[in-house]
Amino acid sequence: MTSRKPDLGGAAVAQRRPPLAVWALSLLAVAAAACGTSGSGNSSGSTAVASKQVLHFPIYADPQTMDPALGDQEIESELSENVFDNLWLFDKTLNIVPDIATAVPTQANGGISSDGLTYTVHLNPKATFNNGDKVTSADVLYSWNRAVAYAGAYSTNLAAIAGFADVQKAASGMTDAQIETQLSAKNTAFAMSGLTAVNSETVQIKLANPCGWCLAAWTLEGTTGAVVDQKVVSQDPASWWHTPGQMVGTGAYKLTAYTPKESMVFKLVPNWWGTAAGLAKPAVSEIDIDIHDPSAAEKDIAAWEQGSYDIFGYGGYSGLLTVADILRIQRTASEKSELLTVDKGRTTWLSFNVGYPATGGPFVGETAAAKGLRLAFDLAIDKQGLAKTVCGNVTCSPATGGLITKGLTGYLGDNQDPLAKFDPTQAKQLLKEYDPTGQLTANLKYSYNAGSPNDQVATYLAEQWKANLGVTVTLNADPDASDFIKNRLAGGYVMSRDGWQFDYNSPQDWYDNLWGAAVLSAGANTSGFDDPQYDSILAQADQLPTTQALPLYNQLAKMLSDDAVYIPLYYSVGNFLIHSYVKGAGSNTAFDYYWDQISLLSH
Amino acid sequence: MLTRGTLIYIAKRVVLLAFTVFLVSSVVFFAVHSLPGNALISARLHGAALQQQLHQFGLDRPIMVQYWSFISNAVRGNFGVSYVIQGLPITPLVIRELSVSCELGGAALIITIGLGVSVGVIAAVRHNTWVDYILTSLAVLGYTVPSFVIATLFYLVFGVWLATLTNGGFSYPLTWTGTYGTLAELSVPAFAIGLFTSGQVARITRAAMLDVLQQDYVRTARAKGVREWAVIIRHALRNALVPVVSILGPLIATIITGVVVIENIFSIPGLGKEFIESILNHDYNITVAVFALLAALIGVANLGVDLVYAAVDPRIRY
Repeated sequence: MTSRKPDLGGAAVAQRRPPLAVWALSLLAVAAAACGTSGSGNSSGSTAVASKQVLHFPIYADPQTMDPALGDQEIESELSENVFDNLWLFDKTLNIVPDIATAVPTQANGGISSDGLTYTVHLNPKATFNNGDKVTSADVLYSWNRAVAYAGAYSTNLAAIAGFADVQKAASGMTDAQIETQLSAKNTAFAMSGLTAVNSETVQIKLANPCGWCLAAWTLEGTTGAVVDQKVVSQDPASWWHTPGQMVGTGAYKLTAYTPKESMVFKLVPNWWGTAAGLAKPAVSEIDIDIHDPSAAEKDIAAWEQGSYDIFGYGGYSGLLTVADILRIQRTASEKSELLTVDKGRTTWLSFNVGYPATGGPFVGETAAAKGLRLAFDLAIDKQGLAKTVCGNVTCSPATGGLITKGLTGYLGDNQDPLAKFDPTQAKQLLKEYDPTGQLTANLKYSYNAGSPNDQVATYLAEQWKANLGVTVTLNADPDASDFIKNRLAGGYVMSRDGWQFDYNSPQDWYDNLWGAAVLSAGANTSGFDDPQYDSILAQADQLPTTQALPLYNQLAKMLSDDAVYIPLYYSVGNFLIHSYVKGAGSNTAFDYYWDQISLLSH
Repeated sequence: MLTRGTLIYIAKRVVLLAFTVFLVSSVVFFAVHSLPGNALISARLHGAALQQQLHQFGLDRPIMVQYWSFISNAVRGNFGVSYVIQGLPITPLVIRELSVSCELGGAALIITIGLGVSVGVIAAVRHNTWVDYILTSLAVLGYTVPSFVIATLFYLVFGVWLATLTNGGFSYPLTWTGTYGTLAELSVPAFAIGLFTSGQVARITRAAMLDVLQQDYVRTARAKGVREWAVIIRHALRNALVPVVSILGPLIATIITGVVVIENIFSIPGLGKEFIESILNHDYNITVAVFALLAALIGVANLGVDLVYAAVDPRIRY
């Protein structure tokens, strides 16, 4: 039995508002206090430049390193290309133009010798680091020798220079600090014989072999071709790149604050020596970057719509906009024009195990049966349907023009890859011919790293094989991407998801790094495909200027498709949200536009 | 005033806590190192180049050597460097993240106690009235709906719907400014955690208050003409708080686990977000450091609650 005491609490309650209501009101009040964001600013009709030139956008991982000797990820190059310069840079249409060097070397201008083996590079006398140190040829020698000794993922961009292998051998097994000691001591074992300083403003590069792709590789921003300041790096080899004030480059911006896992701030270098394409001088004075987990992407898209961010998708994260987001934005009149869609230079395909007998499977070897079965599994996939089902035709497009992505040198042209065909009838015939009992294709597995869109792609493939071939393929999703990559590169899968994002605009970047004897011996040939003829043509093509080499590279593409080594799946399409007041911002197949080309209009 | 017995009790608990943290660290160290893959593998870095990087970080050494190296540094407060943000010292990072989590957890605790006790007292005082029914129902709703559901709902209502309704002019900011955010940015995640736990506090407070309000000394106080608010606050609530304090330990553990989820939902750069990220990224040293700090935090919080318990309940002596 309960007792009622209305005379006790009644008065007390009557004199006070219930605390729950107080809290609820407080919550609203606090939320209200947060207001003041002025909408998305979509309809900026103004051409007046904003007084506050601060660019704000999120990224979804800390850079593992912004040390150009070790940089490996897209996020790293997208950031560090604004802090460091190479001798040359890619412009918006991927042409190579001078940066620290005064000219792009050619045989016509005397920059390349007639035998194609010697490059002479003159440095811009105005070039300085952001700490005021002048850039000299000694800095170029230090930066490149160091990058080779560190043996980072992109050190092979310098592999054609005479003495490359000797330096890597000398530095093998050494820590970064030990390497710096050797470099500071000017140990000649740590200096490539082909890289010399003619004088303080001239560098000579001698190659072991002619190299048609080298200039593009040396130009790749944020990696081994970038110039760093020995004075700064050698003092603190481990921490220099993430310490504001020590991350010294020659670019227009410098790191002024870095709170790991939280934020980065870059500021314009006062009196920067360079020039910004399209602007008299760089306009954006500060870049504020929030570092979030990818799971926050949806929230950040909403924040972009609130007006909290100027751009979404920069830093290598143009793939985070979902199909639903893009379709919604396309339907929103005020935001539609602020969606930028760009082919992003990444192709995804399926690799068969062609060359690893130990891994096994029905696709190994060059027999008619192995080839026929590979082709059957390829023809059974509707690639147009894949792009529509998985990507809504907005985050990817069907890979119909070969392995090299649309927009890059080496792209074969729309519908030029015979493996892009969808022919379930022929697929069935091939299967019947080469596996009449179904024994060979029983218990097949398709392996991939779990996540979007790989899960959806895998499900689609399994459904297609089931529907068009009557074959059940088990899906083997590895939740750990690094584990999957390790096994894949070692040829551990019968069928696996494979792909490549180009580094620089040369077919060599694809054909050298993915198939053939060299990558096979390096443990990085997923399919195990190798053919002496492939290696021979590749070696020949790599020595020629790209325009002359292109027919040879196209022969390699034909060899791969004739052998049905892969199933082409899709080309990635990047999607960016860029408010209309952010002028000069954008992206191309390779990279986000440099910050020094951006200006903010009043909004 | 700390008695000798209390000091001895604290010392024992600290030793036990240190042992617990050591044990947790060791188990986690071996567990994360046994995971397949590692932080350095990528499509581009493999073969000899990968070996060079593994060597750089000492990851090519035998596991026991790595363990000894880690433990001997950790006891000096040095958790090593990150493998993902290469070369970044971990200790300042996780200490900063701990402080962010403490900020969020502290705010949630204030809401838990403030809201929970207030609701419990009012429900008890207005026993069997519509006020009681509503508040009790809300409390039950509060502790049956998980904090991540409340967080997602708040995010949707205050961050998205409100923005849509007001055309972007009035809404909860979906960003997090600087290390500690703003009061506005903190409010919603703190409420998301606090509402969940305050439901339990409200329920216990109400029950305790109902019990205490019928005690003789309360009746005596009223008979002596003590004002009603003084009876409730000074005489009844103080004693009713004893059972509330007793559940604070588990509640703090609940808040800490809630922080892990909520920080990930709201992208708050605290230890909870790091907890998930470091595991996914194979950033071994950070994972071990995070587990060690969370274990220490729970241990310290429980010790604190035990000491408060002794302070509010004279029957408890150490």
